[in-house]
Formats: sequence, structure tokens, C-alpha cells
Amino acid sequence: MSRLFLRKLLRDMKTRKGSLLALLAIVTIGVGVYIGFAAVYRDLDGSRERYYRDYRLADFTVYLKRAPAWSVQETAMLANVREARGRVQQSVLIEVPHQLKPISGTAISMPLRREPVLNDIFLRSGMWFSDNDKREVIIDDAFAKAHRLQPGSRIKVLLLDKQHDLLVVGTAMSPEFVYLIPPGGGFTPDAENYGVLYLPEKFLQESSDLDGAYNQIIGSVHDDSPPILNFTLRVIENRLEAYGVTQSLAARDQASVRFLEDELVGVKISSRISPTIFLLVAALVMNVLIGRMVAQQRTVIGTLKALGYSTSMVTRHYLNYGLFIGIVGGVTGTLFGFWMQNVFVQMYRQFFALPEINAHFYFDILATGFLISIGFALVGTLKGVRYAVSLEPAEAMRPPPPEKGGKVLPERITVFWRILSFRQRMVLRAVFRNPFRSGVNVTASLISTALIVMTLCNTDALDSLMSFEFEKTAHQDMTISLRDPVGIRVQTDFQQLPGVSETEPQLLVVCDLSNGPFEKRAGVMGLVRNNRLYTPIDEQNRRIAVPESGLLLTKKLAELLHVSRGDTIRLRPLIARREIVYSPVVGIVDSYLGLSAYADIRYLSRLLGEEWAANTMLFTSFRKTYDPAFLRELTMRPVVVGINERLQALHKIDEVFGQSMGIMIFVMVLFAGMIAFGSVLNSALVSLSEREREVGTLRVLGYTPAQISGIFSGESFLLNGMGIFFGVFAGMGLVHLLSMAYSTELYRFPVVIYFSRLLESAFLMCLFISLAQWIVFRMVRKLNWLDALKVKE
Amino acid sequence: MVLQRVLLSIRSVSKVYRMGEVDVHALRNASLDIYDGEFLIIIGPSGSGKSTLLNQIGGMDRPTSGTISFMDRELSKSSDYELTLYRRREVGFIFQFYNLIPTLTALENVQVATEIVENPMTAMEALQRVGLAGRADHFPSQLSGGEQQRISVARALASNPRLLLCDEPTGALDVETSRQVLGMLSKLNRELQKTVVLITHNNAIAGLGDRVARIRDGTIHHIRTNDPPKSVEEIHW
Repeated sequence: MSRLFLRKLLRDMKTRKGSLLALLAIVTIGVGVYIGFAAVYRDLDGSRERYYRDYRLADFTVYLKRAPAWSVQETAMLANVREARGRVQQSVLIEVPHQLKPISGTAISMPLRREPVLNDIFLRSGMWFSDNDKREVIIDDAFAKAHRLQPGSRIKVLLLDKQHDLLVVGTAMSPEFVYLIPPGGGFTPDAENYGVLYLPEKFLQESSDLDGAYNQIIGSVHDDSPPILNFTLRVIENRLEAYGVTQSLAARDQASVRFLEDELVGVKISSRISPTIFLLVAALVMNVLIGRMVAQQRTVIGTLKALGYSTSMVTRHYLNYGLFIGIVGGVTGTLFGFWMQNVFVQMYRQFFALPEINAHFYFDILATGFLISIGFALVGTLKGVRYAVSLEPAEAMRPPPPEKGGKVLPERITVFWRILSFRQRMVLRAVFRNPFRSGVNVTASLISTALIVMTLCNTDALDSLMSFEFEKTAHQDMTISLRDPVGIRVQTDFQQLPGVSETEPQLLVVCDLSNGPFEKRAGVMGLVRNNRLYTPIDEQNRRIAVPESGLLLTKKLAELLHVSRGDTIRLRPLIARREIVYSPVVGIVDSYLGLSAYADIRYLSRLLGEEWAANTMLFTSFRKTYDPAFLRELTMRPVVVGINERLQALHKIDEVFGQSMGIMIFVMVLFAGMIAFGSVLNSALVSLSEREREVGTLRVLGYTPAQISGIFSGESFLLNGMGIFFGVFAGMGLVHLLSMAYSTELYRFPVVIYFSRLLESAFLMCLFISLAQWIVFRMVRKLNWLDALKVKE
Repeated sequence: MVLQRVLLSIRSVSKVYRMGEVDVHALRNASLDIYDGEFLIIIGPSGSGKSTLLNQIGGMDRPTSGTISFMDRELSKSSDYELTLYRRREVGFIFQFYNLIPTLTALENVQVATEIVENPMTAMEALQRVGLAGRADHFPSQLSGGEQQRISVARALASNPRLLLCDEPTGALDVETSRQVLGMLSKLNRELQKTVVLITHNNAIAGLGDRVARIRDGTIHHIRTNDPPKSVEEIHW
């Protein structure tokens, strides 16, 4: 492009800076979202890869009662197993200085001398255990920060029935706990209320009554593809059967690994879908804008051709308009993308305990972003350029043929047409005479409405899920987990603790459920009759009544097992004697929680071969807060392995998710608004420029600017009204799609659509549209209509 | 003045436009020779086909039948690209409404033409020839109609074409300005030996040309030689 034509292009662009800015904003968001998400994905994925590799995340974990040391060697000899390591993992209660409440935690054994073992830890501060002193501990880095602990601090740790005073020698993080969710404690990491401790192997073995033995075997394999690894796990389970295997997990099924993976998949999907939406709208809007610019330059095109410019030279010139927008959009999009990448990296640093998540620069992502921007921009200029090419020079020199003046569709319905005012007719004519532009307008507002509806409903769904889990179902103040199922006496004992108002025992048993060839592992919950502190409800908010005998299955579980009411299924509990028993299915309930089953606590106890057993105790307290005496009593009971506060967990989720959700909603609504605003402004400006003379004529006839703007806004509100209307339905469709995408076997993401949210979305859209209309009004008022009448097209 | 060499010859040219369901015969069997270095005025009422004829001469359009030859090149059989090159090298257009590009300055508008030819005069030189070097940096909207038309003349001139085609160049101008523009065209014809073809519906101008061709209903009706042609000062309307 010669400098001459570059100057022409820039000056042409300047005459349309309003539309251009709106358009560039959309392109910028599209390109920025792509670059931002794609780069964050790579930052996070790279950091994860390195961490898992360098610190040797195990491919599987087998939980056992007690496995002798040689069983580890035995496991390592099995086919496909590359390496195996025995570990001791023990629930503990931690007391830190200046804090009343004991904190639940997990102790994990590490070799006394540092060596590169599986599930190695990354020392953040301090050092490894010294040789001679056994009373040393390395603590989780986030936990240390939350409690201001550092090497040199001392903590008290209750291991089984004995409290140990330990010296903190280091802080560390582990690839196993990138996203550390307390067991039974909701969806978010909570370093204040849950910690991981690393203790020398021999010390932990001795204090856990596991001298020379382990209760966990972790290992790596040669082939970790799901079917092969699952088969290997079966083989291991069979081989170790005698040592009381309670569970075996592939790495990908571990909460932390899974959560990180899900997040990454989400980022990857976002990096594809969002930019596509934005750039598609941008391309459509641009077709309208460039189409108009080129149409307005009809005579210029004719003149250039008359001066001897070839069709391809003219084509290139107008393609450069697209190229220009593509390049500028690419630059601003890149800047925006970098900013987004940094914001996201910052956010992920808070969520994920990875040793380093840094925002890197990726040339290929940048290049792709640029190419996408330019590609979409060129597609956006196609319509205009095709018009420029098609003009014969002689034809271009003549004024454009008068607009098609034929009747528009609604005009044919005479009964309807007659009742319309003159201005309403003008609106309808304008809408129907420019089907492409009208279509773009409707599409853009449809998309933005759908995005807003989806965003708002999504937050309601999350809220409802939280309230389902933490308010409607659970009513206790505190949950105490017990090491093993205990008899009925324990309830009487706990009932008498200071400050306790009500107690309710539960028996939670993980079982392998099967029906013929169909098998699934699920949690069976034993509830007391007249349960008050934990009341499972179905999707219609009805309380689920647990029958005296037999099992209730959730619909999802029943489907997976291919059973219906009245069938008998096989259960193999993973605790106690682990004997296979049979039970009838007496009912199927609809629930958000996918893989669950309910039974009467006595009935479930009997299936385990006990008269009455419980391993969880729910409490309410009079004071709704911790009674120091109560806590002291609890820590004196070695059977207690976990303490969870319901409201605390809820607050933590609110705190962690609330803030980032708020930002997410704001940004999404803003983006959607940008699409609506940009497209409305653009089409109104184009329409205004086409009809300047019409505006002039109306002014001569005595119309006020407000009346004339009314015609334009009438057009806009008609089109956008349609877009909003259909957008609401499209948004509801998206909500359903999202629910399907988020739902897993474990729980179903609810579809929550409040009518008020739909109204709210429509209202927001009207706000964005009005804002654009206000700008149009100002332009109509400022338009030099006398000139408009004189000017020749 | 001895006129011998035929620069462009038009033989039995017809042009039929299809407008909706009717055929419009814009040119019917028109024949005309244009001599090298002459000042030819084609005169006719509106709708007589004079603009269509000028488009054929300028290679902007191709006839439905008949032949048009420029020297030994047959324009009526040339490809689009050949016509483009013909317009670029041999023809300079001057339009009734100037057709300047509004977002370019006077100088830049002339550069649009010089940019694509091999031996142009400089844009500044072309502006000097029309007496507007001082307004090089003005945009069309900052210039009067006459000035705009003179820029358009400079643009036509700058690529050093043999043929200047003027489509009602004074149609939008007042008398005094018209005189200036016409004077300039006849000076270019005399001093630079440019062949000028000017179409108009204004009889008063007819006296200026070496020859006057009258067109009516798409045919050349009558060709007259002015001996001698009048000067700009001599014509009145």
C-alpha cells in the first residue's frame, strides 16, 4: 500500500471513528480473550507438567489397613508397575500457638534422609529432617502462612491417642495437593482449617501402631492409559487383598489432580468459544460498516478505475481496510490479552499451590491471535469489497440506482399497515429493506442477551448448589469424623459434652455396588430415623424419607447399575469385614448428588455385621461457637480425626468464590454489553449516514431532532427487542448446555432460571442499547442538515 | 491547421443497455474519427448518448457492436486489463463534478494519477500548470468549485496522456470560472498538443473547438469544422 492510499485509508477511518472504536473494542475483546486464555492455559499446564514430573506425582494410590514392607516390593514386581513406595497417612489434630480450636490435618510419612521418592515434596523454606532428632515436622506451606508458622515454630500434633510437641524444620508443597480440599469440607482449599504435615517415616509408623508397615502404597506405572491402569489397579487390589485394601485411586481420580485438570479443560474451551463469538459478531458488524464505507465511495471507485487503477488494485485498497482493523485489533487485543493473562495468573496463584505460575510470552499464540484477528477482519470486509469489484467504471460514475422502492413484507398485510403511523411505517421499511444489516443487529443482541442470561443464571445455580449442600440438607454446626465405626454408647458420651445441644450419628460407608456386570463405587449414607441435622432432599426440595430396610439409590446411580425399584443389588463395603451382602432397592430419588445411596443406620450397620455403628457425629451447640471446654474434651478422644464447621466452610467458599465470581460476572456482562453497544451504535450510525438527506428533509419539514432520533431508535428497539426476546430463550438453552457440561457422575449442576433474572438481563440490554441511542441522538442533533441536503452521493 | 493522423476511430458503434425489461439504445451506429492534436467538441441534448460515447472513447465501457480503435489497437476487443492500461497511459478524465477524493489533499489527488504511470510530470508541476501550487495542501472541501475542477485538470494532465476527455467540465461552474477552465483546456491543446474531447449540451461553447460533432438519439448527426476556432474571450453565454 502506498503512503498515499494509507493516508486515504486513515482519513476515511477517522470519519467513522465512532463505529470504528465500537468495532475495535469487540475485536480487541475477541483477540484478547483468545490470547489471554491460550497463554494462561499454557502457563498453568506447563507449570503443572513440570511440577508433576520433577516431584514425581504417583500414578496410583492404594489405601490399606496394614501392609508389611515386603508387600511394597511385591507390588513393584507386578506387571506394568514401574516403582512402588509405602507410606503412612494418618488423620491428625493439630494445635498451633494462639489458637484455641484444634485443626484437622493429615500426616504423611517421608524418608528420614532426603531422596527423590514418588510424591516428593518441594521445600519452600527451612530444611529436611536432621538425622538424630525424631521430633521434627515439615508443614504445608499454605498452612504455615495461614498460621504464621515458620521453621523454628513449634506445633502440637495429636496422633492416635498421643500428643507430640514437634519442631517445624521446613515448609513444603506437594504435587499431590495442588488444590487441597479438606475431606468433607466443601469445594475450596482452606489452609486455615486444614493442613498437611510431613513426618519422618519411622516416627509416623511408630506413633500410628504401624511399626515396619504401611497403610498406603503409591506407585508409578509404565502405561497409565485409563483401561490399562484400571486393570493394573485390579491386579494390585487382588494381590494386596489380605492387607485390607479400602480404596485404590488412579492419579486422575484424585481430587486435586482432577480439579486442576477440569479447570484447565475449562480454560481451553473458553479460549476457543469466547473469541469465536466475539470475532464472529465483529466480522458481521464489520461487513455492515465496510459495506457502507465502500458503497459511499462508489464514485471514488469509479474515478480510480477511470484513472487506470485495475480492479485488483482497487480490491486491495479496500481489503486494506479490513487488514488495518485486523492489525490494530491484533495489537490492542494482544495488549488486552497480556493484561488478562496476568490477572488470571494472579488469580490462579491464589487457587493453586504450584511452585511457579508465571505469565510467559508465547510467540506462536501471539501470531495465531494476530492471524485470527486479520482473518476475521478480512472476512468482515468481503461484502464491501465484492461490491467494489463488481462495479463497472462507467456504472460507478453514475449515481447509485434509487433504493428498491417495492413494498416491504408487512406492507402487504394492508389491515396491519393501515393502522401504523407514518413514522412506524418508516421504521418497518428501514428494517425490511436492509435484511442483512437487520439480521446482524438481531444476531448481535441475541448473542449478548444469551450471554448475560447465562452468566446471571449460572451464579444462581452455584448459589442454589451451595444452599442445597450447606443449608437445605445440612443443619449441624459441626461435624466430627471418627477413625472407625463405633457403637451406640458413643452418642451418649458426645451428647454430654459441654455446650452440646443436639447430636446425630451417621454411618458413611463406601461400597462397591453391583448388579450383574454393572458395577459402581458409591457412598452409602446410614441415617437415623427422624434425622434432623442432616436431611437429604430431592430436586423438588422434598425431604427424602429413608425406609427401615433396603436402599434408596439416586437416579444416576440406579441408571449406571441398571436397576429399578424392587431389584436386589450386591454390596461390598470397603470397611470392616468387607463381606459381600445383598440388599433390595426400595426406592429411587432424584438428586443433584449423583452417586449416593441412603439407608437406615441400623439396617446399614447390620449389613456390616454390626448391631449399631456410626463413624460421623453431627452437633449443634447452644452458643453457635466453640466452647473451649468442648474442644478440650474432643482432643482428648483419640477416636476423633476430623472437626468441620459447616458455616465456616460455607463462608470460605463465599470468600474464595464470591470475589472471583463477582469479577467474572462483571466482566462477562461488560463484554456482552460491548457486543450489544457496538453493534447497535454501528448499525445506527450506518443507517444515519445513509439517510442523512432524509434527516435533512425531515428537519426542513419541521421535525425536531428528538422526533427524528425516535425513528432511528424505533428501528433499533424493534430489532433489538427481537434479539432480546430470542436471546432470552437462547440463554436458557445455554444454561441447560452448561448444566450438562458441568455435571459429573458425582453431582448434577442444577438448572436455575428465575424469571427476575430474565427481566434483569433484558433491562441490562436496554441500558446498553439506550446508551448507544443517546450517542445517535447527539449526532442527529449536531448533523449539519442543510449540507446534507446539498451534498451529492 | 493540417489534421491528418487519426488517433481514435469509431466505426458503427452501438450500445444497448438492458434496464429491467426494456432495451435502451444509448448509441446507434455512431461513427467518428478523432484526430491527433485536435480540440473536438461533441454537443447534444441530455439523453442523446454523449456520455455513453465518451465512456466508449475512454475505455470505460465496451460497445455492444461496432469497433473502436486507438491507433492500431482495437479497444472494443481489449481485455479488462488492457483497457485499464489504456486508461492509465493514454487518457485523462475531467468530470462534471470533479470526482476528487474528499479525504486527500489537492496534491495527493494529483498523486493518485502519477503514482501508477511510468513517466509522469510531478504532481507539483501539474498543479503549477493550473495555477494552484499554493493550494497543494488543501482538501477539496476547502476549495471552490473552479479550483476543484482545476485540480481535476491537473490530475488528468499529470499522467501525460495523449487524450483529455472532458465530461461537461463546466456544467457545475459559473460563467467566469467556466472561462478559466476552458481557457486552460485550450491552452493545453495548443501548447502541449493534447487531443481534447469535450462533451457538452451548451451550444455557446461549440465555437471553441477545431471541430464540432452533433449527436442526437445516439448517432453522430453532423460534423462541422470551425475555421478558425474562437478564443475563450470571444464566446458568450
